[in-house]
Amino acid sequence: MSEKWTLNVAPAADNDPVFVGVGEIPSGKFPDRGFIQALTKVAVLALKDAGMVPKDIDTIMLIPCLHSGADQADLVFSRMVEELGIHGTCKSSYMVHSGGSTSDNAVRAAHGLIAAGHAQNILVLQCERWGSADLQEMITMLSKNGIPGEWELPTGIQFNAIGAMITRRYMHASGSTPEEMASVCVTLRNWANLNENAMFYTKPLTVEQILASRMVADPLHSYECPPMADGACAFVMTNTANAKKRGISNAVRVAGSGGCVSHYCLSQEADQAVLGWPLAAERAWNQSGWGPEDADIAEIYDSYAAVTAIALEGIGIAAKGEGARWFAAGHGDPGGKLPMNTNGGLLSAGHTGVGGGTALLVEGIRQLLHRAPSKRQVENCQRAIIGGSGGSYMDAQILLLERIKLGA
Amino acid sequence: MQTPKIVTEFRAGLSDGKLLVQLCKDCGKPNMWPRYACPHCQSENLDWQHSGGVGTLHSFCVLRQGAPEGFEEDLPYAIGVVKLDEGVQLAVRLVPSAPDDWSEYQCDDRVEFVAVSADQIEKRPCAAFKRIAD
Repeated sequence: MSEKWTLNVAPAADNDPVFVGVGEIPSGKFPDRGFIQALTKVAVLALKDAGMVPKDIDTIMLIPCLHSGADQADLVFSRMVEELGIHGTCKSSYMVHSGGSTSDNAVRAAHGLIAAGHAQNILVLQCERWGSADLQEMITMLSKNGIPGEWELPTGIQFNAIGAMITRRYMHASGSTPEEMASVCVTLRNWANLNENAMFYTKPLTVEQILASRMVADPLHSYECPPMADGACAFVMTNTANAKKRGISNAVRVAGSGGCVSHYCLSQEADQAVLGWPLAAERAWNQSGWGPEDADIAEIYDSYAAVTAIALEGIGIAAKGEGARWFAAGHGDPGGKLPMNTNGGLLSAGHTGVGGGTALLVEGIRQLLHRAPSKRQVENCQRAIIGGSGGSYMDAQILLLERIKLGA
Repeated sequence: MQTPKIVTEFRAGLSDGKLLVQLCKDCGKPNMWPRYACPHCQSENLDWQHSGGVGTLHSFCVLRQGAPEGFEEDLPYAIGVVKLDEGVQLAVRLVPSAPDDWSEYQCDDRVEFVAVSADQIEKRPCAAFKRIAD
């Protein structure tokens, strides 16, 4: 992969797509919070943050939910268009879906629509109700996602088993200890303790507590498994000309992206301790001209510690085999050299299904807009690496985002 | 929908105590999982070969709780990914060395296919492997 793969949009050109607002409500267990109610709430919050009202939106893009087929159908069939009162004017409403990497692919889709002129103002919406759903039902549902029914389902594989196999291979390849793996979760919790929207905002966590928790899927302890949560978030994108017209002086643009789909089911992955990250990173650097040293923060999919450690190595933030030890040294912590998953990530802000990646993206945009609460706002945050992965870690997706000054 | 032929034939192999690997009769390459067209050359001229049944354990886990519906009574059970010497890989169940004990297993162990009863394959149509003693 040596050919130059250029984005056909110049920085701050009139058609350069930019993020201008985000909205989010707390993650956790909220059985009384309705699905459409939560979506409406985050839509209004994101529009307000962008200085817009619903009628400004011409395109709604939906991030899927996994808890209910009926709710999913409401997303697909434009319910939010009516709920926001833009039926009759909204041009297009549809879903993008690639599991945990959906938000990365949704940004690519929205970016293309805006740059080409198919859309002006896009509202991206996400809501999941995993925290309130029936746990057994969700486990069984997830044993059929990214898992071939005719070949692998008969083994009894499910999501923690997939996370456990990746973790074991990673520990074998890197020589990382259980303490070093647990330290990844502690870093995430340290960030969650600064995020009022995080499921575990008020609960500290130590390596000792993690290693004392029960074994769920060797080598994963229960505190190393993602907590299923309810959650919702949203973001707004527009083009640079429109943002300027609206008096927006600072926004966030896409400097480049890279991706690699390395398998469908985990059994076909060539190396579970590597996954698709090296090629995704090579493509992202190639497109943006950045390197790993250029980022101020990273927000990378973290449904299991090993998944994030592997991504860090593939991206080149940590040396080969050193991903977990990089966390153990505190490099990703508040005040560390590269703040990582500053909302607490899926493991501590809550695993909101497909929305876990969206929440990380929203946090990255929020940090770049300098709109995070002061206790966790990274000072002078200019560039962010966003990473996502879907299904059985079938893909590695990287978005490189940068803050941009518009106008004089 | 009727179960596809590549599925019924693969499972019939397991019931007969054989691990079958799909073989492309045009390019000669083995495929796993079996495909509807060869992913290397897109030929539909596909057949089976008997696997030597020996490979390397890439990774594995022991699931102790949270089984999918219908698997609760199997707990605990171990799932692994085996890279066969033929150059293809698959997900399998690992046979414990002692009841409910997989502590001898490590990544990169050499492992071999174990035939299980047709009744067991009827219930759980997947291959079983065990560690080859040092």
